Amino acid sequence: MDLGRCNIALSKSILEKLREITGEKGLLTSPVDLASYSFDGTTSWQSLPEAVVFPTTTEQVSQILKLATEQRIPVTPRGAGSNLSGGSVPVSGGIVLCTTRMNMIIKIDTDNFTVTTEVGVVLNDLNQELARNNLFFPPDPQSSLAATIGGCVSENAGGPYAVKYGVFKNYLLGLTAVLPSGIILKLGGSTVKNVTGYDLPQIICGSEGTLAVITQVTLRILTLPPAHKTVIAVFDKVVTSGQAVHRVLTEGILPAKIEMMDNWVIRRIEETTPLGLPLEAGSLLLFELDGNPAAVEKEAEGVIKSCQQAGAIEVRSARDNEEAVNFWTARRAGFSAVYGASPTVFAEDVTVPFNRISDLIAKVEEIAKKYNLTIIIIGHAGDGNLHPSVLTDKSNAEHYHRAEQAVNEIFMTALEYGGAISGEHGIGLEKKRFMKQAMQPEAIDILRGIKKVFDPAGILNPGKIWEEK
Amino acid sequence: MSHNPTVDDANQCMKCGFCMYNCPIYKVDHIESHVARGRNMLIRQASDKNLPADSDYAERLSYCLLCGRCAAICPAKVPSPDINVAARTNLVTQKGLSLPKKSIYRGILQNRNLMAQLLGVAAWVPGISVKDGKPLRHMADFTSVFTKGLALPRLSRPFLSTRLPLRTLPPEGVKTKGRVAFFPGCAFEFFFADIGAGIAQVLAKAGYVVIYPKDLTCCGLAVRSAGDLHTAQLMAKHNIEKLASFDRIITGCATCGSALKDYGNWFSADDPWQSRAQSLSAKVYDFSEFLAKEGFKSQVDEPLTVTYHDPCHLKWHQGVSNQPRELLRSIEGVHFVEMEGADDCCGLGGAFSIAHRDISLAIQNKKMQSIIKTGAQVVVTSCPGCLIQLKDGVRRNKLPVEVMHISQLMRGKQ
Repeated sequence: MDLGRCNIALSKSILEKLREITGEKGLLTSPVDLASYSFDGTTSWQSLPEAVVFPTTTEQVSQILKLATEQRIPVTPRGAGSNLSGGSVPVSGGIVLCTTRMNMIIKIDTDNFTVTTEVGVVLNDLNQELARNNLFFPPDPQSSLAATIGGCVSENAGGPYAVKYGVFKNYLLGLTAVLPSGIILKLGGSTVKNVTGYDLPQIICGSEGTLAVITQVTLRILTLPPAHKTVIAVFDKVVTSGQAVHRVLTEGILPAKIEMMDNWVIRRIEETTPLGLPLEAGSLLLFELDGNPAAVEKEAEGVIKSCQQAGAIEVRSARDNEEAVNFWTARRAGFSAVYGASPTVFAEDVTVPFNRISDLIAKVEEIAKKYNLTIIIIGHAGDGNLHPSVLTDKSNAEHYHRAEQAVNEIFMTALEYGGAISGEHGIGLEKKRFMKQAMQPEAIDILRGIKKVFDPAGILNPGKIWEEK
Repeated sequence: MSHNPTVDDANQCMKCGFCMYNCPIYKVDHIESHVARGRNMLIRQASDKNLPADSDYAERLSYCLLCGRCAAICPAKVPSPDINVAARTNLVTQKGLSLPKKSIYRGILQNRNLMAQLLGVAAWVPGISVKDGKPLRHMADFTSVFTKGLALPRLSRPFLSTRLPLRTLPPEGVKTKGRVAFFPGCAFEFFFADIGAGIAQVLAKAGYVVIYPKDLTCCGLAVRSAGDLHTAQLMAKHNIEKLASFDRIITGCATCGSALKDYGNWFSADDPWQSRAQSLSAKVYDFSEFLAKEGFKSQVDEPLTVTYHDPCHLKWHQGVSNQPRELLRSIEGVHFVEMEGADDCCGLGGAFSIAHRDISLAIQNKKMQSIIKTGAQVVVTSCPGCLIQLKDGVRRNKLPVEVMHISQLMRGKQ
């Protein structure tokens, strides 16, 4: 069934039932409120819901979904709506189910290194709480000040730490999820090893809210590394820095983060928070090494040596913690500047195998020239995940068209190099037109089949990930 | 710097949602239209005529304390509070003000003498005023009927302008360093006159001749925040003229300070008043900002454990947060302890605290919990608005804590 084009008008009695489930304060229906739930972190998608509900318990989520299935009302789950895929935009109207009020950390198990939490907890709040116990949860999407745990699990989010520590799925041990029928499932458990049948938590993880609404998760956590060190390396060309990343990794060094910024970003950094970076430099790499102090020192030396061998203009360790913090703050500000650099930004999210990073960069530079566009190259170079960001303006049709063509070519290049069209943002609406190139038709059919098993009525986040046949 | 934020600046928002992490209101109700990201989106849509600028829209604009924390954390440097004020101003321009608001902003607040007369009459009503530090009981409970439970301070008798001479001189034996003008603001004039007088005395002890210019008017911030820019400009012009001859203007009110320092943004670049406003702003100092540079030493009678609450208008609007702490640490007998979330808003936000009482109280409660955890006997702040809200919270929760303006701990042994 395709609810993607349905035009549902929620009747008074349905709104009344929703109000009974969540209480007066848990339901929004006024046009201004609905307008504020019509978008996410992307620049190009917008669609109005007809109601926004704020359940506070798993039981309420169950009642809402049961009602929605009975009445065939689309439900779009939403955390903070900071995702970059259009995933939480209610393209089919209906209900937005917002989990932000389910925000209790249930248990930090310091003996077994797990945390069990409701899904509305903001990632940074979780890490603040863990830090009090000398613990941390590594996956670090850069939206951590806004993003909820539920959204992160649903998008299988990751960030700079992915080089060494992996992404959300690597930490997901168990979860409570509600099926569209209203059935409450407890899946997985709290152990690192668990091969009981198909790995259902992993199927729900990264499913972009299309299979079930997650209400609680149990995650693996680690102790905070005792030592950190930051190394900064400057290169004349982006391509050279790509080669340096590969060299460092083949030396057997595993930095916690390797972040890449091109000349555009370096200039923005120098404008806002001058760090004395050479303005003509083509690329900057920031490495973070963490672990026990002796190993960190040795690895830092290794990184410096590898960068020198790769042809760095300048490479050194941060003098002290303060300078390291400045570098990482500047990196964050620099990345942010990209997203505000033009009215529309295609902040792409392609991933390639390690040995193709510099090839991808060279190709993106070529594409920028070909279409006469500014394409900023930033990314988590250490895991092959780059965010080539195409600056454009949706209101300028000709320019926008060129930008779209450039994006298409970037995707095709990533696929040709054996990579993926999305490393960490997800498909949502933004990339679904590329699914056919990224996945065999039979494989997409399996996705559809799985969806059907979980959500036979097709009410949950309809219109996402793949195009209708 | 001549660009005044307009509603168009909402287009800079890239919707990252970082503002959610800091927004005191969003942290309570998690509603997108109550946080900068969602509100900016609504303002964009209303500005593009895709959303009617109706009463619902106006109400969403009111869900903002204008605390400035969103702007402080914003990676794209979107001036969301200013954008909200610009949107409110557009609404007032299009639809006008309600009659009660019009009479308050344009009639009373703008006219200090009338305000003094009205409040002066009110001050004679038993219970409304406080004389010699002994308030008549129960009036707070009476006025709280109109404020949905917020205990307003009692009116001072007499007002500050009749207590304080035109010039307060440094005490004998203290070398005179110079002359400053004191801008008391409405709160110290009418409600906390004893604290206002104390501020002048501390400045005098620090070696300054403190001039109290008699015919100042309200700083205008409340009026501007409500969107009545025209009236706010008249008030600013009045104060700019009255203060032009001074080299240093000191205020003990974080809210007034933030207004005086921001007057430049109240006028457009082609208005000659903009540069006059900017040159005034450059001469304005918060009480603690000014005294921290002076190396002023003070002491308290008994050892005290003290914590500090950052007024939003001081930390986020003026960037002043170290100075009050330095001052507190320098007071002999004060043991300073930092509270958790010291720079979290107290939840007052002027009329917000009455219009959105439940949220204001939820924010106040968090603050009270932070205060209690410190074990401090005194919570100090630098804004009469925060004083009202903190005192209300302490009273409501029956906490064994005294709420003070920073100057009250600096008067020396009594």
